[in-house]
Amino acid sequence: MTEKVKRKVTWMHIVTFVFATAVAYVLAVVSSLIFPVLGAPGVSALYVAAAVYVPLGVWMGMWGALAGYFSCLFLGLYPSGYTLVQSIVWSFADFIEALIPALLFRALRIDPDFTVKRGWAAKIFPLLISLGTIILLLGVVVQVLWGRLGEPFTSVYVYSVYTGLALAVLGLITGLFVGDKKTWATYIVSVVLTSVASGLWGAGTLTVFNFPPPLPSEAFWPVLVGWVAGDLIVLSVLSTALLVALTPVFKRTGLYVEGWWA
Amino acid sequence: MPTILGELTGEEARNSTYMGLNPVVKILIPLFFSLDVLLVRNILSAASLVVLVFAVLVIAGVPMRVLRNYIILISSLSSFIVLSFVLFTNVPGKVLLECNLLTVKAEKGSLVWKVSITDEALYRAAVFILRILAMIFTATLFVATVSDRDIVQGLRDLHFPLGASVAVSLFFRGISLFLEDFRIIREAMMARGVDFEKTSLSRRFMLYANALIPLISLMVSRSYEVSLALESKGISPTTRTRRRGGAPLRKRDLSALALGVAQFLVFLRL
Repeated sequence: MTEKVKRKVTWMHIVTFVFATAVAYVLAVVSSLIFPVLGAPGVSALYVAAAVYVPLGVWMGMWGALAGYFSCLFLGLYPSGYTLVQSIVWSFADFIEALIPALLFRALRIDPDFTVKRGWAAKIFPLLISLGTIILLLGVVVQVLWGRLGEPFTSVYVYSVYTGLALAVLGLITGLFVGDKKTWATYIVSVVLTSVASGLWGAGTLTVFNFPPPLPSEAFWPVLVGWVAGDLIVLSVLSTALLVALTPVFKRTGLYVEGWWA
Repeated sequence: MPTILGELTGEEARNSTYMGLNPVVKILIPLFFSLDVLLVRNILSAASLVVLVFAVLVIAGVPMRVLRNYIILISSLSSFIVLSFVLFTNVPGKVLLECNLLTVKAEKGSLVWKVSITDEALYRAAVFILRILAMIFTATLFVATVSDRDIVQGLRDLHFPLGASVAVSLFFRGISLFLEDFRIIREAMMARGVDFEKTSLSRRFMLYANALIPLISLMVSRSYEVSLALESKGISPTTRTRRRGGAPLRKRDLSALALGVAQFLVFLRL
């Protein structure tokens, strides 16, 4: 009978977490300056840092979530200019970005195997998933903001929801062909969930609920759409590449965290 | 030992008196300014804070060309903040300019997107911009005057645990290592024929995105080296080391601290 060895937190976890925070912070600052969402300092339409959080959540559990939290906290303070309290609340958006994939992979007890068996599927699914979810989201936004005005907004809403949903489902099915079905299905679901959840928290705490919200409440929808769309593109394209290339490296070096902390 | 800014840009504060202050003081003064930012409510307090931090930057001898590099950053952020208050908000006040950007006629009415610039909207945007300016100056003061060693020593003297002090120091070290690695990877890409100047923005974005894989890979190997170095010293993350007595606070350290506390109290009442 084999006894399960209890793993402990080592310097390797702490140092990687700190370095990852530093890397994510630089990427966050650069993205929010090069591809800003109009009117929202610190929010980027192509938030490259998010591409690091999701893989870190899969590889390092809570360390990844903490790296997301702290890099966003520093981004909120400098150069975005939000107060400490506002940043402390807002930063949970990036904590969520790594927490959701970490939670899904651990709760479903999936040993991530991102080996690509069919390259064509790996190239197509990010496009379908991001395009589908963005169209779906835009439809919902149109309905919420202008649905009461009737046509043509009602038709835009209906067509967007059906088209978006169809594309997203097609993307999910294509994703299953990439390789290990459990790994890829969980990953795709976590990409969509993480983008929407962090977008809702991030846009909400910037515009609707905070101490006080730093931006006007009318900016909620533009910030939400920019946030979710940017995250979807970055996560499905860049995070996928990082996970495929570096998951074996993390497993080989002993940095891979099976539980939450070690 | 070079300061954090010195390692990043080769520039650092030159005033030997300020640089000679106890690390605890060099950490606490920017911290006081950061707390002041929380107290900024109106344009007077925001402008006063900007002037105060700028004066300390000058006294500390931080080269002005460092601040000049931030001009693009500050102007880009400022324009986005003003746009936010103009495009998406209807702040009540004296209307300075008003125009309809878009009108869509619908079944039960029409959708109108109106731009309205009021004096109150500009006032709020100005306070926000001044606050950002104060934070950028404060962060510059911090990175231009403390080194990695100052951070560890200062935080240990403030009774922070060893693990946390090392982690904070490594965070700043991590930024400079990342930028250095990025420079090396960029040069390697150029050596293989990539011309960053002539490529389109979208292609350039993809090239930089491709650089993420070697960058994260290098981060892992650097983490491995640093953690081995720490472990070889026999220190585990939970080790409770006996702290040696820190450098004593001299008269000038105490005076600087007193000034820091005094200005904080002034902002508390403004």
